[in-house]
Amino acid sequence: MHIVVCMKQVPRDNSVKINADLTINADGIEQIMNLFDEYAVEEALQWNEKLGGKVTILSIGPEDWKEQIRRALAMGATDSLLLSDPAFTKLDTFGAARVAAAAIKKLGDVDLVLCGRNSTDDETGAFAPALARLLGWAQLTYVGKVVSLESGKIVAERHLEEVVETVEASLPAVATVVKGINEPRYPSLLRIRKVAKVEIPTWSAADLGLSAADLTPALNLVNRVPPPPRPKGEVIEGKDAAEKVARLVDKLMEAQVI
Amino acid sequence: MANEIWVFIERTAHGDMAGVSKELLGKARELADANGMKVGALILGAGVGDLANTAFSYGADTAYVVDDGTLAQYTTDGYVGAAAALAKKYQPALILTGASFQMRDFSAALAAELDTGVAADSTNVAIENGVVSAVRSSHGGNVINTLTFAPGRTAVVSVRKQSFPEPQASPGRSGAVVTEAMPSVPMRAKVVSVAPKQGAVNLSDAAIIVSGGRGLGSPENYYKLIPPLAEAVGGAYGASRAIVDAGWVPYEHQVGQTGKTVSPKLYMAVGISGAIQHLAGMRSSRTIVAINKDPDAPIFRVATYGVVGDANEIVPLLTEEIKKRTGK
Ligand SMILES: Cc1cc2nc3c(=O)[nH]c(=O)nc-3n(C[C@H](O)[C@H](O)[C@H](O)COP(=O)(O)OP(=O)(O)OC[C@H]3O[C@@H](n4cnc5c(N)ncnc54)[C@H](O)[C@@H]3O)c2cc1C
Ligand SMILES: Nc1ncnc2c1ncn2[C@@H]1O[C@H](COP(=O)(O)O)[C@@H](O)[C@H]1O
Repeated sequence: MHIVVCMKQVPRDNSVKINADLTINADGIEQIMNLFDEYAVEEALQWNEKLGGKVTILSIGPEDWKEQIRRALAMGATDSLLLSDPAFTKLDTFGAARVAAAAIKKLGDVDLVLCGRNSTDDETGAFAPALARLLGWAQLTYVGKVVSLESGKIVAERHLEEVVETVEASLPAVATVVKGINEPRYPSLLRIRKVAKVEIPTWSAADLGLSAADLTPALNLVNRVPPPPRPKGEVIEGKDAAEKVARLVDKLMEAQVI
Repeated sequence: MANEIWVFIERTAHGDMAGVSKELLGKARELADANGMKVGALILGAGVGDLANTAFSYGADTAYVVDDGTLAQYTTDGYVGAAAALAKKYQPALILTGASFQMRDFSAALAAELDTGVAADSTNVAIENGVVSAVRSSHGGNVINTLTFAPGRTAVVSVRKQSFPEPQASPGRSGAVVTEAMPSVPMRAKVVSVAPKQGAVNLSDAAIIVSGGRGLGSPENYYKLIPPLAEAVGGAYGASRAIVDAGWVPYEHQVGQTGKTVSPKLYMAVGISGAIQHLAGMRSSRTIVAINKDPDAPIFRVATYGVVGDANEIVPLLTEEIKKRTGK
């Protein structure tokens, strides 16, 4: 079984700034593996331990994303692939999915692609569905449990807002995972050292046969602003807890929120 | 490109039209009237009954219907296959859907099928000089993006519920029904079973949420203080990631960057410091109450009303006072 995990590097928190050219400025914020992708990596590793084969970490991003790719390799992934090209810097989600689809087609032997439910920076949740359609594969989003995985077939639980839907699909397929599907392992020190110098194959737009037209965004960002500031709040004072509570309840009733 | 705005009609568990679809029909009507366009209701299912008439009463001019056994249950292949065939034939300028998990699965796949992108989980949509734009937040609500779709491409926008008011129904209003057969599409996945989620809490729907954090000290204390307060105000209870990860409360209740994004009319944060990842999930709540013993806790920076004090002392008094004053 060859499982590909699409992994995105994101800022640890979202206290980002907006540059004059509307790009995001995350300077000074530590970069981490997108939380949901960590679950995807763990899920791939657990099935790989049962079934054998390969787990390839795939990222569409700049060179410095190699840091998180190495973390995934240190967790136990067997292979990696960075798709990097100056032409990829302005990709939208659909464009990124196009690049990933070209790479997965080129790999040729992929059975299952695992992604996170969404990225915690862009939060579109649209990458995996777009990838599935571009590949013409089955799509299973919000997976909270993979019940079985065998050659040609996956059975998984989709954890929706109010129901759990059990779905059976043919492979190859694309699935996205939610938090709680497993307990991601920490990379061992030994493995961290072992993968420190591993070469990470890198493919460019030309390697994938992608033209400028393939990479044109479907959506154009025309404005980007911070959220409006919240109206100034007030601290409820009082001589003791009972008085503070009484005043708070007055305010809440005046505002008609209770 | 036809001069139409389509709304995907979602149903509740009882088969009625979902509130979000009514909200979207209202918005579509407003945009259509301002731009000389028409409103189409996209109705897919098996036994769709009277939904077309309901859609007309909320502002649709035309109902595009595929009524077929294949669509008895949502599958990406079935629903996207039917919707894409209709959209390719009738070429709407804009397709609006809700933003539930199922609708995000649908809208993103449909967009790709139509060779375009999706503005996911948007909170506003506009049309100016034939160009569709959508507003959506990213980066945990710290960034508000306005996106436009290239003219000539169908725009697909999924919209967070309660972004628009629900319009008044006009029961007598009528429209045209266009019925199409289910196209033949590969069905690569099938639903084996659907079970209600145990202890499901749809925090995103709650009008009031009371959340607790590590400041409560123990799971016993959380359950002693938070659910009773939530009950007194008729709300649901939530949690910070710190206590979800510690196993006090199931993940369903987590609010924040890697949990639920909520914007109730009242959000109470008890013993929660207000880390940026928590704020990401609740900062757009209308009224925020913070109860924390540390006057410098960051949660106070977003709070409408802050109470500095020990939760163990404040919360039981607050629960009692609210019960007394609201007569519950
Ligand atoms: C990638 C990533 C994603 C994350 N996603 C989320 C997320 O989705 N949601 C989320 O919540 N967090 C998230 N976090 C974690 C976040 O950074 C914080 O660690 C977490 O929110 C802290 O939870 P807390 O406020 O309950 O605990 P703490 O930060 O420990 O705060 C406890 C608070 O309780 C107060 N307190 C103590 N005793 C009392 C008392 N007796 N009475 C009243 N107040 C008291 C303290 O003053 C303190 O302010 C994420 C972190 C990362 C790195
Ligand atoms: N640039 C990227 N490289 C690799 N994987 C990605 C990339 N963008 C998105 N993904 C995958 O798609 C998921 C959803 O991301 P998004 O659609 O941005 O919310 C992530 O959790 C990743 O698994």
